Amino acid sequence: MARASIIIPTFDRPHLLSRAVESARAAAEDVEIIVIDDASVNETSSLCRELTGIKYIRLEHNQGVAGARNVGILASTSEYIAFLDDDDLRLPGSLDVQSDALDANPDVGFVCGAMLMADQNYSLTGDISAPAHASGDRFWELLELDFPVMPLSVLIRKECFTKVGLLNNRLGGIDDWDILVRIAELYPVMVQDEPIGIYRKPTSVSGQGSSSQAKQLFQALSHQLQLFRLPRVQAATPSKRSRVRRRTINRVADTLLWNAPALFHDRAFNSAAANVLTALRLNPWRAFRPRALRKLDQVLVKSRRESLVTH
Amino acid sequence: MSVTSIIVTTHNRPHLLVRAIESARLAGSDIEIIVVDDASLDQTQTICRTLPDIKYVRLERNQRVAGARNVGLLVSSGEFVSFLDDDDVRLPGSLDEQVRILEANSQAGLVYGQAIVKDESSEEVYPLDCLHGDVFWRLVTQNFIPCGSAVFRRSCLDRVGLLDSYLAGLDDWDLWIRIASLFPIVALEKPVMIWKRSSPVSGQGSSQAASIVSRAVQQFRTRWMKLPRAVAAKVEVRQKAWQQFSANMAAHLAWETMRSLDHRNFVQAARNTIEVAQLGPMAVARVAARRRLF
Repeated sequence: MARASIIIPTFDRPHLLSRAVESARAAAEDVEIIVIDDASVNETSSLCRELTGIKYIRLEHNQGVAGARNVGILASTSEYIAFLDDDDLRLPGSLDVQSDALDANPDVGFVCGAMLMADQNYSLTGDISAPAHASGDRFWELLELDFPVMPLSVLIRKECFTKVGLLNNRLGGIDDWDILVRIAELYPVMVQDEPIGIYRKPTSVSGQGSSSQAKQLFQALSHQLQLFRLPRVQAATPSKRSRVRRRTINRVADTLLWNAPALFHDRAFNSAAANVLTALRLNPWRAFRPRALRKLDQVLVKSRRESLVTH
Repeated sequence: MSVTSIIVTTHNRPHLLVRAIESARLAGSDIEIIVVDDASLDQTQTICRTLPDIKYVRLERNQRVAGARNVGLLVSSGEFVSFLDDDDVRLPGSLDEQVRILEANSQAGLVYGQAIVKDESSEEVYPLDCLHGDVFWRLVTQNFIPCGSAVFRRSCLDRVGLLDSYLAGLDDWDLWIRIASLFPIVALEKPVMIWKRSSPVSGQGSSQAASIVSRAVQQFRTRWMKLPRAVAAKVEVRQKAWQQFSANMAAHLAWETMRSLDHRNFVQAARNTIEVAQLGPMAVARVAARRRLF
């Protein structure tokens, strides 16, 4: 029996899906691949029926990413769970590395690694997104959004779901952050340096994640207040709580500001404006610190230089 | 492998739980009892550890009923699944009988039965006439399937998804609707369980009637009427469903308001009245008309 399952929710992107499935197949010697077709209306189902060696589940009612992942967790028969988006890729052998890590550390809730960034055509940009912290209790960093992990680079022990519950189906886009925080509240986290997957970076116009970055981060901020009800946060001192909250707000405001020039450069003016306005709304003073202006200048220069190279 | 999984969710009520578990044991011959302890703070854990032949799962963080039921689904292995609340009682042999019906109807996704609804003073059987077959359009107007009486095929979940953890108090109705939109429903026309109705002061589910109804209205508009089947239907069909739904909700709230007044819970009564107003004047008029007919 396979040690780990890779759950791939998909919706109306059959041209990307088969590539993701092939990468999942190569990720471990023995792997259970579960494709959840979230009520696609195009030829996804006929394509999936041609793929061999996968468990194909077709939802007749669209459940959203989190709901589809939950159905995948229910269908899996192995001990460890990995999520893969239909447009991302797993690196060969990456799943075995992570399964070994969980085997060797039975108290760890999930293990995470690095991601290679790629553009829309899957060619690597050379950027690597690695977790900035070491293994251990990473609850506060995750809660503060100071530990950017994406489901792509994570392998979760299934048993955790029976302690903290399944994914929250109403948190489209941030359900992965929510579950990792909830797991990290009770379990230590293990960090590895190995690259685990290739993340296909959304462009500002592709209609994927970051085009609604402002909205998503704002949603994360309001959901953080729900997460503050977790017993460990409740047990902390009020000053610690307000420090966490303040730092998160500033971090989000900074991220939105730094990304605005790039969006502006890509002519995604609406998203750029949303970023700046949301940042100002969160902390109006943040944008006018000398450090902020200097960083903004750097970002602008960098994006100018990139545009010179590409054109 | 056990044929049927009974998922009992519980939170801080060990005195009731044992009775529910014992009733589940007698309800079927080939069953797996799963107790999901939704982060109880009392001796529930110690009591459950002493009970033989149950699968005990303890959630460390409270997930409320729907979340706990989903975890129960995760650890269950039966081909058929049934939920049981910790204050419900299953009648002996009832589960076997229902599973036989489901096995005989290979197309059907779910079988339900009647519940004996117990009040402080009264006792009645609900629902009186058991609808069966394609009940989708009736089910969206009213939940006539008592939660503990339903037994469904686990394979249905692969088509319709899990319970919506956001819908406290409505999660079962929502799932039944999604199942009924794809599969025929069958019924066993005899009591299969005893369901104790909460009083407006006991702080249980139905005491928040107003907020449940407002969530149901939202769910009706944004999800149920957006199911492929509802979208494909004629506008008149959807309109008629809304008329019946809003009238049923108004009637339910009116009834809950009377109960609240009986218990001198005036705040609750006021909340219910406000919610009725939001259902629209037509709903109230329809309830009034219906009352005159009886």
